[in-house]
Amino acid sequence: MIIHSIKWRLQAWHGFLLVCLVTGLMTGFYVFERRAWLQAIDNNLQEAATPLLPRFAPPAGRIPERGPMDRRRRPPPPEEGGPRLPEGRPPDEPRGDRDAARPLPETGDVYFAAWGENGHQIAISSNAPAGLELPPAPASPQGRQLRTRGLNRELVQFVPAGRCILVGTSMQPALAELHRLGVALAVIGAAIVITGLAVGWWLATRALRPIADISQAAREIAEGDLSKRINASETESELGQLTAVLNSTFARLETAFAQQQQFTSDAAHELRTPVSVILTQIQSTLNKERSPAEYCETLEACQRAAQRMRRLIESLLELARFDAGAAQLKQLPFDLATVAGDCAELVQPLAHERGVMIFSELSAANCQGDPERVGQVITNLLTNAVNYSRNGGEVWIRAKANNGQVELCVADNGPGIPAEHLPKIFDRFYRVDAARTAAQGRTGLGLAICKAIVAAHSGSIVATNRSGGGAEFTVRLPESGGGGIGTRLPPVNP
Amino acid sequence: MRILIVEDEPDLRSGLTRALRDEGYAVDTADNGEDGLFSAEGTDYDAILLDVMLPGLDGWEVLRRLRQTKRTPVLILTARDTTRDRVKGLDTGADDYVVKPFDLPELLARLRALIRRTTNQVSNQIVLGDVTIDTAARTVALKRKPIEITAREYALVEFLARHRGEVVTRTQLYEHLFDENDSSLSNLLDVHVSNIRKKLGGDFITTRRGHGYCIE
Repeated sequence: MIIHSIKWRLQAWHGFLLVCLVTGLMTGFYVFERRAWLQAIDNNLQEAATPLLPRFAPPAGRIPERGPMDRRRRPPPPEEGGPRLPEGRPPDEPRGDRDAARPLPETGDVYFAAWGENGHQIAISSNAPAGLELPPAPASPQGRQLRTRGLNRELVQFVPAGRCILVGTSMQPALAELHRLGVALAVIGAAIVITGLAVGWWLATRALRPIADISQAAREIAEGDLSKRINASETESELGQLTAVLNSTFARLETAFAQQQQFTSDAAHELRTPVSVILTQIQSTLNKERSPAEYCETLEACQRAAQRMRRLIESLLELARFDAGAAQLKQLPFDLATVAGDCAELVQPLAHERGVMIFSELSAANCQGDPERVGQVITNLLTNAVNYSRNGGEVWIRAKANNGQVELCVADNGPGIPAEHLPKIFDRFYRVDAARTAAQGRTGLGLAICKAIVAAHSGSIVATNRSGGGAEFTVRLPESGGGGIGTRLPPVNP
Repeated sequence: MRILIVEDEPDLRSGLTRALRDEGYAVDTADNGEDGLFSAEGTDYDAILLDVMLPGLDGWEVLRRLRQTKRTPVLILTARDTTRDRVKGLDTGADDYVVKPFDLPELLARLRALIRRTTNQVSNQIVLGDVTIDTAARTVALKRKPIEITAREYALVEFLARHRGEVVTRTQLYEHLFDENDSSLSNLLDVHVSNIRKKLGGDFITTRRGHGYCIE
């Protein structure tokens, strides 16, 4: 609806105000001008009447005078003045100047008539209009009286002797001038309104253009093109700032969406290999009659693939629970050193099998949380360290309280982690060597889960390379009993 | 036909090997990129099944290096299914591209098609006078009558038929019909040839003494 468009509403309001303002100003100016013209004519008549008085009403007493009129310039006689065009003057000249220098209009000939005491005409100028009659006597017989008769302006003066003098002039030239002024004012007013509307339209269009860009971009994003951004031509205006905010929002949205997509695609990818194993094994076995041993082999291979999928699904679900903040975490006080010692014992058989020595250096470190989950982190780190160690390698596990925190450190003297992989090592499905870990039946989610567990305990986990070679993982958790902020677990949703 | 499988997942490798051996192919395997490239460069395989995610050298690198010396047909096996990955695979020099998980019959059909294309055959039927070979069904018929033939014999007939008019040396035959696990004695080949002659006629395979065998 055009009525609901902001642009149209702005334009309508702006146009309405402009028309009111211009009409008011122009009308005021016209009324003022008209009054000034009339005043000028009246003054002219007064001055023309002055010399006539002694002639037609000689000793009749003092003529009442009006101050301001005397200060006015005597009008040039119509014969000398020639035509003067008031509209030639700039309309916006300051008022004071105009009053002082106002040219008297072409008033036409001044005519006069005089009547005697008994009411008979004693004199009349040749240019007086026909049918000039003795005006009715006013209530107070003395003084001047101004009147408009048709297109003529007349001054009537009764003198005490009973005589009457009438001085008049035609207003026609003045009215014509006023008419011209009126037309000029109308044209100027219309021009101002049209210019104002046009400029207003342009400004509104310009100011609202970003909104069109924004809605266009938002529509394309809604249709699925997340890489779309709003074209931010001006950054200073309010809409420019909005554009910047929206663009950064869109960028974060796209990143989050891309991560989600990557995660889904990685998860699907991880499932492809075990499904391929099951399909290939079964289809090749069913091809013809096999020996029981071969069937067994096939079933074992299928079981391995299914177990791998099960591990992956469990890990995915666990991560999803942490993501949703729905992981069930106990809040028990426990000694990190005890948990670490149990984990080291648990990993010992694997270490022995691989010819790796585990050295423990554990001192009491009290903290609060879920000892099982923390144990899961430690076991995972230890298993990684053992798996990546060479035969005869060494793995160290240290636990201690340090400065209001408890610190757990798992280090090895294996090949370490290439520097370019360090920042991404906790990313989901990120692997330093994709194929090797996959073949060992690992999901690529172990460290991501470790990070989620540690984060749920308000702790931190970092991976570094030791200067002497080998990787080192450090887990820091808030110490409990020592007081201080952060000793409690964050609230966990049930 | 001799095929190389380069795949690091042991259960997938064993399943594929069994399926291909059942089809009468001679199959060699490698479980990492380096070994795979070494085998591929050292032997004239009829086709290579190459996994992409391999320890050591990955599949792309194996393919890139192999293409510097050999034109062996390569079928890429991968879990990556984006268009970009497919394009990359084909542009690097792969001849076909199969996404995991695949159906075994489809993989085998693609493999047959790949071999057929590289030997310039247009159909699965090779007709040599009275003898018709169906490479899809792996059967041989003499005057439209199916002939009982062993897998090894069939492979020998198919290989010679695919190289019709050429003299195929004994070394070539050994390379393409037997894999690393076969400890065949050299006279085994003569036994197979003699059996085929009994079934399909004495002049079906010609012996070029000192050179090898030939189907005219």
